[in-house]
Amino acid sequence: MSQIISRKTIEQLIGKLQSEGGHAAAPVAAGKRYFFRPLQKAEQLVLDGKIMPVNSVKEFFFPPHEVICRYQYEGKELQITDAEPFEKEQIIFGARPCDAASLPILDKIFAWDYQDRFYQQRRENTTVVTLACQQPDNSCFCTSVGLSPDTTSGADAELLELGNDLYEVRCYTEKGKKLFEGLTEESVKTGKTAAPPEIRFDMERVSKYLSEHFDDSIYSTTSLRCVGCGACTYICPTCHCFDIVDEGGAAKGCRVKNWDTCQFAMFTLHASGHNPRGEQAVRQRNRVQHKFAIYPSKFGAVLCTGCGNCTRECSASLGIRPVLELIDKKAES
Amino acid sequence: MPQQEKLQQKAKEILLEKKADVVIGYGKVETGNIGAVFITDPERTGELVWNNLCTTNLSVYLKRKEIKKLGKPCIIVKGCDAKALAVLEIENQIDRSAMTVIGVECFGVQDRCEPQYKCASCNVQLPPHCDFVIERDTKQSAPQGSRYEKLEMLDNMDSKERFEYWKQELSRCIKCYACRQNCPMCYCDVCVVDKNRPIRIDTSATLKGNFAWNILRAFHLAGRCVGCGACSAACPAGIDLDLLNLTLAKASEENFGYIAGVQRNVEPLVGTFSPDDKEEFIR
Amino acid sequence: MSSADTFEPKVIAFVCNWCTYLGADLAGTSRLEYPHNLRIIRLPCTGRIDFNLIIKAFENGADSVLVSGCHPGDCHYTSGNFHARRRWILFRELLEALGIDSQRIHFSWISAAEGTKFQKFIKEIVEKTKALGPYNEMKEIVRQANT
Repeated sequence: MSQIISRKTIEQLIGKLQSEGGHAAAPVAAGKRYFFRPLQKAEQLVLDGKIMPVNSVKEFFFPPHEVICRYQYEGKELQITDAEPFEKEQIIFGARPCDAASLPILDKIFAWDYQDRFYQQRRENTTVVTLACQQPDNSCFCTSVGLSPDTTSGADAELLELGNDLYEVRCYTEKGKKLFEGLTEESVKTGKTAAPPEIRFDMERVSKYLSEHFDDSIYSTTSLRCVGCGACTYICPTCHCFDIVDEGGAAKGCRVKNWDTCQFAMFTLHASGHNPRGEQAVRQRNRVQHKFAIYPSKFGAVLCTGCGNCTRECSASLGIRPVLELIDKKAES
Repeated sequence: MPQQEKLQQKAKEILLEKKADVVIGYGKVETGNIGAVFITDPERTGELVWNNLCTTNLSVYLKRKEIKKLGKPCIIVKGCDAKALAVLEIENQIDRSAMTVIGVECFGVQDRCEPQYKCASCNVQLPPHCDFVIERDTKQSAPQGSRYEKLEMLDNMDSKERFEYWKQELSRCIKCYACRQNCPMCYCDVCVVDKNRPIRIDTSATLKGNFAWNILRAFHLAGRCVGCGACSAACPAGIDLDLLNLTLAKASEENFGYIAGVQRNVEPLVGTFSPDDKEEFIR
Repeated sequence: MSSADTFEPKVIAFVCNWCTYLGADLAGTSRLEYPHNLRIIRLPCTGRIDFNLIIKAFENGADSVLVSGCHPGDCHYTSGNFHARRRWILFRELLEALGIDSQRIHFSWISAAEGTKFQKFIKEIVEKTKALGPYNEMKEIVRQANT
């Protein structure tokens, strides 16, 4: 027997959450694309396993901009106040399984040598409800990094489309069970997940090659058509670099944590003017090495879920997958 | 002979005659899509592709130092892209005598399987200012749309509604600077948003920072933007940045009769002046 | 008392060193009284008045902005104000398209001899801004950025 829920019940659930001061986020249409956004009203919710929202749900745990603390001079006295902790309840609906799978990976980095309470508080207060993948596209490569469309990693619960605005609910954690408690009905219907996309490269071989070849001539050709924007890293579910900036004046202001990306020349620019990663090829090398050699050596998992966001949205039709495929070919020969 | 073959042949000739060291053109890339390719070997010019999916404006690569290192360029341009070269030349960013420009006759390109907005009002099927133009055997009539049609949407709103619209749109901006990086006109060594001693424009992706950045980007392109639409096409937040550029292009045309990229031997619009400039708002 | 009576707008004036600043000076030495809501920022020339300064002024809580310099033909540097005029013509259109309230941005040519014009114009701007009320739309965006 399976548990099912109707869209109407989900909308009521969102309405109740919002009336209690909580946040709900889900894919929302903007123009012809979909973005994970905070829901203004429950009807905005789009639950469709075929859509590929542009951004990642990581921004509800690690927002593009976050205040760390504020400072203010009162006379000659400097007052510093910490940012308020994130205490609201937050539910994310319709996350792609490959997107949610990034969360256990990010958990490690934000609780490594420094306990990032900003991330951790949001993580504790958030329930992630994924929606089963119905149609991988030709940018997808989850199977190449050891995941698949039926991955449940990082999901508290999963919805599977049954048609007619009905969804099968599968709960994987206590949080997920608590969320749907008493809202589901028993049924004999079960939902399905899409067939896995083809495997594009041998991850073991790539990782091994990368850890043995820190520098490689391949990047000088693979990075040629990159124009050096940060889109790939900002919509990547696992990229997590940030910059700490002071904003405001001498008398009053705040210290903030803003997304940053290794693809910008500014990322490693020294105060002296020297830049150890002065060229795009080296910046691309950093991205590939970090994801497939450095992070795995520290945490035992690759920093990539194969969601394909970077390739799908790249204005130069690049992203990380073509580079990995070429590295794999080189490693093979 | 099909246009693509003629193009490949011409590119091969240019490389063999050593008129250029690298051909910046379109080709099928690993993802199966059409992207930029950089061909230095005359024998590989067969990889060049020309069809209606050749959307990107390749002139953006002329500013990349990685591409400059490849030597004297030969660039393939559509009509819209050729205008960008004209502006770059006016602004002394390129030396036309040290490069070769192949124009390809174009009857519109697609972006994400949809015809690009700019193509509906394009009147430069045959690219201007080129060294060689590769024509198509079969011709089509030029589209009759108005370049500024899209602005009607903004014109129909009142000031408050426009502000609300931009608040909605810009709230999605994540400051990835894809708009800047994909723009052939954004060639500054250090962009003003990257200047941090002191910080001029907030690096934060807040509405405040996003308004400041997008106003800055749009206005720095005033009288310079040729309307190639690369910014809108590249924006991962799906913001139609072209609306701001079009607004300024329209203002340039209405107030000064200036259309960027049409002529090669003019002074830049902003940066020069006329004592006869007309306005009604200065008291 | 209504809020319109108690609201004291903040008006930022970017003025050129050679004409409008001296016009303001003349207004002062001539004991011409004008509202105290004005904060003057002196710059070498209107050609130096970057459009970003206008945005920055609003970000920092301005309710209105004034940009003022020498009359056409009178520029100390020959053509700074002509360059500026061309930019403003375009910049105003951009602000219009973005829905930024153009009623809050004022431009004028005020010479060193026009103390009276300066006084009158400032009075007018302050009255107009009082009628418009505080620029809450912009203030809200700034407030959000710090939370």
